[in-house]
Amino acid sequence: MIFQAGRRIVLGSLALACAGLLVSMPARAAQDPRTFIQTFGNTLVSIVNSPIPLGEKKVKILPLVQQNVDIDAIGRFCMGRYWKLATPEQRQTYLSLFHDVLVNTIIDKLGAYRGVTFTIGDVSKSGDLDAVQTTLVLPQQPPADVKWIVSYESGAPKVVDMVGEGASLRMTQRGDYEAYVGRNGGDVASLIKALKKQVAAHTAAATSTD
Amino acid sequence: MQAHRTKATVTMISGRNGSRLRPRGQTREGSSASCRFRMGKAGLALVFLSVAGCSGIKAPVPTDPDSLAEYKAANDPYEPLNRKTFNLTMKFDKWALRPVAKAYVWTVPRPVRNSLGNMITTMNEPSVFFNDVGAGKPRRAGDAFVRWCLNMTVGIGGLIDVAKMAGYPHHDNDAGLTLANWGISSGPYLFLPMGPSSFRDGIGYGIDQGLSPWNYVPRGYGLISFNWAYNMFGVVHGRSEHLDDLDALERDALDPYATIRSAYQQQRKAQAEALKNDHRATVPAWYQ
Repeated sequence: MIFQAGRRIVLGSLALACAGLLVSMPARAAQDPRTFIQTFGNTLVSIVNSPIPLGEKKVKILPLVQQNVDIDAIGRFCMGRYWKLATPEQRQTYLSLFHDVLVNTIIDKLGAYRGVTFTIGDVSKSGDLDAVQTTLVLPQQPPADVKWIVSYESGAPKVVDMVGEGASLRMTQRGDYEAYVGRNGGDVASLIKALKKQVAAHTAAATSTD
Repeated sequence: MQAHRTKATVTMISGRNGSRLRPRGQTREGSSASCRFRMGKAGLALVFLSVAGCSGIKAPVPTDPDSLAEYKAANDPYEPLNRKTFNLTMKFDKWALRPVAKAYVWTVPRPVRNSLGNMITTMNEPSVFFNDVGAGKPRRAGDAFVRWCLNMTVGIGGLIDVAKMAGYPHHDNDAGLTLANWGISSGPYLFLPMGPSSFRDGIGYGIDQGLSPWNYVPRGYGLISFNWAYNMFGVVHGRSEHLDDLDALERDALDPYATIRSAYQQQRKAQAEALKNDHRATVPAWYQ
């Protein structure tokens, strides 16, 4: 018990220190998307590779992702043309669900692995966005090339998209959501209902395997 | 957040890097002309029936500007028909292909599967080569040619990817991309029984069958049987590579059909761009 509490304090203060560092250096990082992705990626990979249960990984990954990824902007983009039709309450509910969906996806994709590594390649510019090329290596899997799209719109560098083998994550997600709402009579509530169901199912599956 | 997963699904049910072969001459074996005629008539009737059974093949064009923009972006006027094909394909996948692929993964260890995968990739290399030539990309064509020569000899019929170790990694190409390189646009999206496609890529699929030397094997010596086994194995192997991806897609996507469509269209566009922008010199770097 004491050990657990001690570890939590140590890890908590470590996380705080990291967060503090990140907050204190956005100006420097803004000039260098490579450093930004390197820092974010290293922290993410170190959590994924640590020998802790999935539930704990999720608790640690959530704040890290919220810090470095512009989840709200991605969420707005994914809703596509239905964003302007949604009421303020619907938007808020949707965005909070979207945070869960996004972190769940990361956990599903990386959570179970140990020994994840990544290397950073070229950095290119397209308009206001920077694209950082990385190669992600999961154990027993062929290496995957992933491009991270970094935006500075919010003042600090934030990830707004990932491109794997030519397919943009947010574009694909928008295709999914728009088609779903469109086939349910253009009703945004149907999307929220489906996402709620999805998040609940994920939680149920996670608790049953823990 | 499924882009990374769905990238794999675009080749999902099609084996051998997106091409599935049907050996020529197979129907000739043991089928008389009248029998073929009867079968042809029955097949025609079946097509008519299924067409009549479809409530609609073309989706109505929406009138309000936002819906119209979405309709145009999706580039899928035959959506009702495509969705029917998709549902049928997924049913077949659920009850036949996926269980077989799972059994394959369960029984065959990964190193063996990797080797067999290398063999499938190598045996498709001639088709990649002809398409590279057709697209006017000599460096790519050279790579494909060297890969074929090295892997078929030193690599023991393609089982070992020697070419990759020698600095010639595999690259994909198909007639759909060659046509794209010639400036032919994709045309409407299509979902075919072997996976997502488009008018252009569907035609390209047909051309690829003609470009693959395996479709010209003579009868006898068990070659046709080998070809069938190879093709069916290619499909199972191709599916086994994407078990987790497709499971995740079915679990997470609200509309798997639309997700696959979007990922496929983006991926094809990126592949066509990559082919178009490949201006590497044909001579090695040390020679220049």
